[in-house]
Amino acid sequence: MALRYALWTAVNPAAVDDAFYQALREHYSEEEIIELGLFIAFNIGYHTFFGTLKFYPMFAPDGRLVSQDESARIYGAKPVSLA
Amino acid sequence: MADLTASSRDGVEDAELQSLIAEADRLGVPDTAVCRMLARVPDHGKPMLRAMLVSHQQGNVDHRLKEMVRIRLARIAGDARSASLRSRRAREAGLDEAAIEAACGDFERDDRFSAAEKAALRYATDMYGSPETVDQAFYAGLKRHFTEAQIMELGAFIALHYGIYALLRTMAPAGALFARPAAPR
Repeated sequence: MALRYALWTAVNPAAVDDAFYQALREHYSEEEIIELGLFIAFNIGYHTFFGTLKFYPMFAPDGRLVSQDESARIYGAKPVSLA
Repeated sequence: MADLTASSRDGVEDAELQSLIAEADRLGVPDTAVCRMLARVPDHGKPMLRAMLVSHQQGNVDHRLKEMVRIRLARIAGDARSASLRSRRAREAGLDEAAIEAACGDFERDDRFSAAEKAALRYATDMYGSPETVDQAFYAGLKRHFTEAQIMELGAFIALHYGIYALLRTMAPAGALFARPAAPR
């Protein structure tokens, strides 16, 4: 339910209706739903923003700390973190 | 002014949270229903409300421009409730409904907006409409009008507000979580 809440809030908001919130209440308190919703909201907003900034992992696969340029060479145009 | 008596009656005991709700009430954004929802989870709601108010009112990007961006984002997200709110501070600074409507419409062809204002509105529009176009060249274009600090300020403002409006659009139509004020403690 929580994963569905995250996905649908982002891409299918019409499905997050009264019935959906009622179903969420079977598993979570209203305070937990709000907490979860705020976490989802924060991540919907910021991950897209960070994606436009083209952040690359600060670490190489072997754990070495690397620069953004070296990281770009290692991970290529579409590292997992930017998917 | 904020009705702190009512807030206290609704169970908001945290002084900073009361102060933030009063600030939101003075500004007009976000509205009372959203503040009450945030107050139900103070550990999470307080930093969220603080971030919303700081990103909207503070920094080095014109508040009127942020208000136009905010309303456009609310409309893009489909959060009619937040789109209907107006910043009193922006209105007092001269932002009128005609400019807001223009900012929410075909702003690219509207001579009332500067190139910088158009770039900011485009940033907000493309961030969630076509994020693949917000690339290095796009940021280079923004840098012709804004400092890097201003761009980060604007980007963070856009991210936070789009995210919260994406959530509120699921709650506002049915008032799903707004109906009940926080329980007295």
